[in-house]
Amino acid sequence: MSSRAEPLPAVPSRGEGWAEEWVRLTAFAYRNLIMARRNVFFLFELTFWPGVAMISHGLLTRFLDLTPPMTAFILVGTIALSAVQVCQLDVAYAVLFDIWSKSMKHQFLTPVRIHHLALGSWLVGVGRGVIVWGLMALIGSRAFGFDFVGAGAPRVAMFLLGCFMTALVIGLLVCALVLLFGTRAETSAWAAVNFFVMLSGIYYPVSVLPGWAQTLSAGIPLTYFLDGIRAGYGFPSAYAHPFAIGFALSLLYVVLAHWALAAAVTRSRRTGLLLKVSE
Amino acid sequence: MGASTPAVEVRDLAKTFRSGWLRRRETEALRGANLRVERGAIFGLLGPNGAGKTTLLSILATLLLPDRGTATILGHDVVREAFAIRRRLNMASGNASFVWSLRPAEVLSFYGRLYGLHGRALRSRVGELVERFELLPHLKTEYNELSTGLKQRLALAKALLNEPEVLFLDEPTLGLDPDVSIRIRGQIAELRRERGTTIILTTHYMREAEELCDRIAFIKGGRILAEGSADDLKRQIRIGDVIALRLEPAAPFGLAALPGMMQVQARGDRVECTVDSSEKRLPELLRWLADHGVLVRDCQVHEPELEEVFVELAR
Repeated sequence: MSSRAEPLPAVPSRGEGWAEEWVRLTAFAYRNLIMARRNVFFLFELTFWPGVAMISHGLLTRFLDLTPPMTAFILVGTIALSAVQVCQLDVAYAVLFDIWSKSMKHQFLTPVRIHHLALGSWLVGVGRGVIVWGLMALIGSRAFGFDFVGAGAPRVAMFLLGCFMTALVIGLLVCALVLLFGTRAETSAWAAVNFFVMLSGIYYPVSVLPGWAQTLSAGIPLTYFLDGIRAGYGFPSAYAHPFAIGFALSLLYVVLAHWALAAAVTRSRRTGLLLKVSE
Repeated sequence: MGASTPAVEVRDLAKTFRSGWLRRRETEALRGANLRVERGAIFGLLGPNGAGKTTLLSILATLLLPDRGTATILGHDVVREAFAIRRRLNMASGNASFVWSLRPAEVLSFYGRLYGLHGRALRSRVGELVERFELLPHLKTEYNELSTGLKQRLALAKALLNEPEVLFLDEPTLGLDPDVSIRIRGQIAELRRERGTTIILTTHYMREAEELCDRIAFIKGGRILAEGSADDLKRQIRIGDVIALRLEPAAPFGLAALPGMMQVQARGDRVECTVDSSEKRLPELLRWLADHGVLVRDCQVHEPELEEVFVELAR
């Protein structure tokens, strides 16, 4: 054989059909759905914890003898926390399943991109988030008289979409942390969700937070989505266009989190962590 | 076009792993490796544990970034064109692992989708691989309940989903029963025969390397110490062939001075001659003994095993 290397035509990497793009994207949805169907603990995530949260917070509003609007104020926060938590878990599963089964390298051997991984698993997260919202709304309305569409259907839809976009950002950051620091990062990553939610005024108005915390909360999209839906229950809004600001911030963070995950993948290829967490 | 471009070309490839925060530790896994693998070849990478075999394979499979040097697959740079080249390569490891709850066809469907396969093409590809690797009776079994041999077969099936032009196999028969190993080796050989797939494999089993590989590189301490066919390697390190003789009378003086003679060990009527090539030296030796009136009662030729080459190079 000749030893002279002839230049090859570039391997086609662009111009792939939308069908292939969609298939790659839904691959992660396919896997998450199988896992959700086959593992009983996934049912727990979907029903037990959100149910417990709604019932215990509902009972608290009863004990404190809160008015219907105040009850809505609290329970909207309860729904937000559960919807964000469940949805971000699905996004994080795109990486965590492979970390737990030590199969990480296989997916990065394929021509998969970050957006396939993120959006595919996010789709399942959105579906599961809607189920959680439905369940919590049902418990809230039946047990505590919570009018879950009292803020108006468009506001509820925007609020939920906002929660899911926040979940996408947090899920991507969890994936990035796990790829940077390995399994050690799992717990701290989940704890971060509660930290962000706490700062965004989950069961109270942001105005009760100390000044420095209010500055931080202004940078969290969920702050605006909670403000926006609570305005629908008659609470004065702290912002002129809370949903617009929330979505703008979410989009910015989605782009940044996407970049952070891509950078984490590159770094793990450089440090060898990608191999350490595989087999 | 492009047929003369090697499947794999590696130049001066280096990789150092760094670990620890307070006590920084550095491990040089590759120290300037050079390699060329022609298309359609089965190429073996041998070496002791920690020699750099898996590091080299991982860089070629785009899973690891090198610190220095270049590596190309089918003419494409593994760093700059990683995404594009992934469509044309694949990898399977001896200790493969997949998500625990997925069943064999689901594992294949998931990764098949990541390669952009869908609809009828995906179904037929998965069906074909399930049949080929005899996974049909295990379609209802979740991954963590499969035996080691079945897991290994599934890993190989996954590695063929995209019909790769270059396939990396890292210890493909590690820990398998001999009968399963033989079948897997058969499937590897078949892949090259039927599809012309270029295969680069690492192994600790010398017989496997000798049976499958056209060429073998011996790697140690991150450097490629020797490369060639199994016979080339034996010659390169000059282990020599051993001609064991029983003579009557005992070996005469002057045997050690014969051309090609590397060592002579005599004990009574038995003598062991280590020569550079038994094929070339045996007729000369027999002629010389006959000329000196020595009768050869018994003659046995022992050619060195690749294992001996390994031991010699690993020293």
